[in-house]
Amino acid sequence: MKKKLLAILLALSMTLALAACGGGGGEEPSGEAAGGDTIKIGLIGPVTGNNASFGNAMVEGARMTVAEINAAGGILGRQIELLEADDRGDATECMNAFNNMVAEGVQYIIGSATSGATAAITGMANEEGVVLISPSATADDITTEDDYVFRSCFKDSLQGDIAAAWVQQQGITKVGTIMCSADNYSSGLVNSFTAACEARGIEVAADESTATMDAQDFTNQFTSMVNAGVELVYAIYYYDAVGAFLVPQARAAGFDGIIMGADGFDGTLDYISEGTDYSVFNDVVYTNHYDATDSSPVVAEYVEAYQAEYGTQPLCFAALASDCLMMLQKAMEAAGTADDPAAVRDALADTSVTYEGVTGTFNLDESGTPVKGAAVIEFTYDESVGGVEGLGTQLVTTISADDLA
Amino acid sequence: MGVFLQTLFVGLRLGSVYALIALGYTMVYGIIRLINFAHGDFIMVGGYTLIFTVPLMTAAGLPAWLAVVIAIAVCALVGVGVELVAYRPVRRKGTGMTALITAVAMSLFLENLAQAIPAIGPNPIIASQLFAPGGFRVAGVTLDFVTIYTIAVSAAVMLLLYVFTQKTRMGRAMRCVSEDKSAAVLMGISVNRTVLTTFAVGSGLSAVAALMYVAQYPKVYTTMGSLLGLKAFVAAVAGGIGLIPGAMLGGLVIGLVESFTTSYISSSLTDAVVFLILIAVLLIKPAGILGKNVGEKV
Amino acid sequence: MNKTVKRGYIVNGLTAVLAYAAFCVLAATLGQEGGFKLIIAPGIWQCCYLILLAASLNLVLGFMGQLSLGHCGFMAIGAYTAALMSLAFERAGVYDEKSGAAFLAVLFLCIISAGLLAAAFGVLVGIPALRLKGDYLAIITLGFGLIIVNVINNLPFAGQNGLAEGSAAASLYATGLGFGSSDRVAYLWAGVGVTALCVTLMFMFVRSKYGRAVRAIRDDEIAAAASGINTGYYKVLTFAFSAFFAGVAGALYACCNASLSTVSFSFTNGSILNSTFVVVMVVLGGMGSLTGSVVSAVVMFLLNYQIANGAWVDALPGFIQGAFTYPMLVYAVVLIVIIMFRPKGIFGAYEFSLLRTPGELARRLRGLGRGKRANKGGKEAAAQ
Repeated sequence: MKKKLLAILLALSMTLALAACGGGGGEEPSGEAAGGDTIKIGLIGPVTGNNASFGNAMVEGARMTVAEINAAGGILGRQIELLEADDRGDATECMNAFNNMVAEGVQYIIGSATSGATAAITGMANEEGVVLISPSATADDITTEDDYVFRSCFKDSLQGDIAAAWVQQQGITKVGTIMCSADNYSSGLVNSFTAACEARGIEVAADESTATMDAQDFTNQFTSMVNAGVELVYAIYYYDAVGAFLVPQARAAGFDGIIMGADGFDGTLDYISEGTDYSVFNDVVYTNHYDATDSSPVVAEYVEAYQAEYGTQPLCFAALASDCLMMLQKAMEAAGTADDPAAVRDALADTSVTYEGVTGTFNLDESGTPVKGAAVIEFTYDESVGGVEGLGTQLVTTISADDLA
Repeated sequence: MGVFLQTLFVGLRLGSVYALIALGYTMVYGIIRLINFAHGDFIMVGGYTLIFTVPLMTAAGLPAWLAVVIAIAVCALVGVGVELVAYRPVRRKGTGMTALITAVAMSLFLENLAQAIPAIGPNPIIASQLFAPGGFRVAGVTLDFVTIYTIAVSAAVMLLLYVFTQKTRMGRAMRCVSEDKSAAVLMGISVNRTVLTTFAVGSGLSAVAALMYVAQYPKVYTTMGSLLGLKAFVAAVAGGIGLIPGAMLGGLVIGLVESFTTSYISSSLTDAVVFLILIAVLLIKPAGILGKNVGEKV
Repeated sequence: MNKTVKRGYIVNGLTAVLAYAAFCVLAATLGQEGGFKLIIAPGIWQCCYLILLAASLNLVLGFMGQLSLGHCGFMAIGAYTAALMSLAFERAGVYDEKSGAAFLAVLFLCIISAGLLAAAFGVLVGIPALRLKGDYLAIITLGFGLIIVNVINNLPFAGQNGLAEGSAAASLYATGLGFGSSDRVAYLWAGVGVTALCVTLMFMFVRSKYGRAVRAIRDDEIAAAASGINTGYYKVLTFAFSAFFAGVAGALYACCNASLSTVSFSFTNGSILNSTFVVVMVVLGGMGSLTGSVVSAVVMFLLNYQIANGAWVDALPGFIQGAFTYPMLVYAVVLIVIIMFRPKGIFGAYEFSLLRTPGELARRLRGLGRGKRANKGGKEAAAQ
């Protein structure tokens, strides 16, 4: 009896799935979007899975910005409908989500968070003529000339070069690197930093790595750094590892030089173990898309609105997703239409347009990647205040793309 | 010399945690011959319990580490629950393989359930420092007090477990069940109750492991148990699974191997080297470093 | 017996060829139409490699009774082999666009090499299997999967940043095997054909004397050895055979996806493609039933796809939708429930056959009211 029940259940679920599949694929997709009232914008990001925190930040940022745009009258008088899909950080899931959205008539898509997942859909975006703007896929070859793919973040080689330029400004001549070879973001940035250092005559005296981004012990790596006698270590990990493990262990291993990171360090302050000796965070700097403590009205308003909405500081993923929407809005308004992705693409490809976003004021280059400077931010610890409250960040300097030459 | 000492200390730090986890692993395996893949996730359960109860402890003016008492209770409950809901019904019907697959499924279930609970969510949570920082300085290198505590706790747990299994009534029942289930039933031992106790003790131990782990590596996230559990299992196997001193030895060996690989061979191939060593150990001496090879009876 | 088997092969073979031809015609007619190109064709590709993966693991797990937890490692080897080879050919100027005879030759060469290299590693894993079984073997295979991923990540020419002195991904699409939407439709015949051929080969393997020997090892290794079966030889052979098809599955994965990353081949991850999940598929379908593996791979794909993308999900009551936000949670529960109530999987050891199944179905429908002979098919298949 039980067996029969199971068999029937299975058969039922299969028919349901098949029927639904047919329904999803067979319906007339594009007609409605073209003449409809709303503009459909897709958002693909890892809402669950290992990179869930990036995806959730993206979704939060995008939802807030869509609500703001809609409240202000929408784009070209039309409201935006945000369709969200979860790719769980996986290339195949990303491809499925993309195909499904395109079949439903979505012509503008924001996503995905990681380079690996985004690369699965860039080719198809060109093929289908869908405008794709990624908030945080930083690998160099995500965007190319003459295509439908753009992004709101800087690419690895630029961020690595900016970091190297700052190192050169400080008069540092001997550096070391630590990366996770299994992670595109970490290895991509460290490779470009190494190349930029060599070009600038800075010696990379030691390179170490970990097997995963979730590595928990960096002590041995930093001991090697101490022995190599480097003045600065370029270590690319995410905020949770940086605050809990990387910095305290580096200091415990006797490394007292500068620890330099990148945008992944953003958010570290919320991930520091209470009771740590907070002074270890002196001499830790990182490059970021923007400075959240910036007093410029765009940033201040954004951070304030975000905090009012969600109660936390925005991660850079949120701000970058919001900037994607801003870019799209501006391009649609310039093109004068939201029904013709080719025209919107042409508007985005215009390198003379200047975008004023939360993450900076920038133009896009020929390939569709922002040419923007980075903020170099340092952690500060105020002994007189003490405790977690004594920790903060402050802007050291901003390095623009023009400074690099 | 400095590098060698530092590497040694890091190896001990990692190894002491592996040893503590491996003890729980080997305990359960020794009795019911099941690789409890969910054991690593019990550590995660313990970790989150600590995160939520440590503030209560400090608010009550008690030392933070006392939260482990609550964590032990929670982990033991979860362990017993898993045994009652999943393992026991499957064991009654299926083979060793189906039991193993259930364990994999249980691990998947716990990890994803944790992520679905709003208070936990996908973001890692950072624990506060549970013990006062500090350590011995030897030749310019620091050996943290926490590492020493962990080794001490592991050794104490090892001794207690040894005494428990050798000297107490329940312990004798456990060994009896592990050797021959049907004979145990004939001797008037309740197999189900014995297995349940094993699970309660093994899972409770994972809370202790969670405490010592979080004290050294204060980051708690939903998938923290998966690789940690695997490495601890490797440690248990390398030392000779089912053997309580073997788990301790295996844990320290794996920790040291990992650390020395990082320092002297390649820091990115650590995992590959650890598992290659496991394969080598198993091929040369399938019963583990301390184990005895037993032929199969026809 | 011999005559029936022969007749079975002829009838089933002919039907399969006819069905395949009909499918190719259908695919060619539907061609570049939106829903087919964007949803159905990629879906079929994904089903193809999932089917191969599940069926090949079933050889080891279901027929030989050895739990392998690193099956995706073989797939990773296949995927990277195929991708790197195709890139090499493209750079050598053998083909410059994804059409024509030269590309077709490269495509099949890549698929076969992917399988062969994976099979070579299968032999490597098979050797520990000579001495170890059960839990120990599970751990060895798991470790093997981790080692492969770890090593691939660190190969300068294949790792996360390897595949083209830049990021793996976009270049695979631009120059290598990685198909875009229209290529996926154009080469659908190849993907489906390779899958059908491989499943047929596996089916023939398990029905041959090799298959009988392997099942004998599963049921009682010592008795099998005593009956003159060279258990070591058959174990390594089955591991290699299984790895070969996993490698082919990897090559199909590299075709279907425009980007490759080792995350997709790990022990667990966010997608349904990982070593744990392949085990789920095999157990669900039935350990020892290739039919079951094929069906459960397709069902799992549809379920997963629907949960992630299906429009009807929005129409469901809130709490079910909430559960669907965490599909892996649902799968874990399903797996536990299946193991509890039907430890042999849905199909048990049942195999579909055109000669038998229709008659059996009719008999069963008649017998439904009496509700007795439910498991007849399973018994028959097991009795052979």
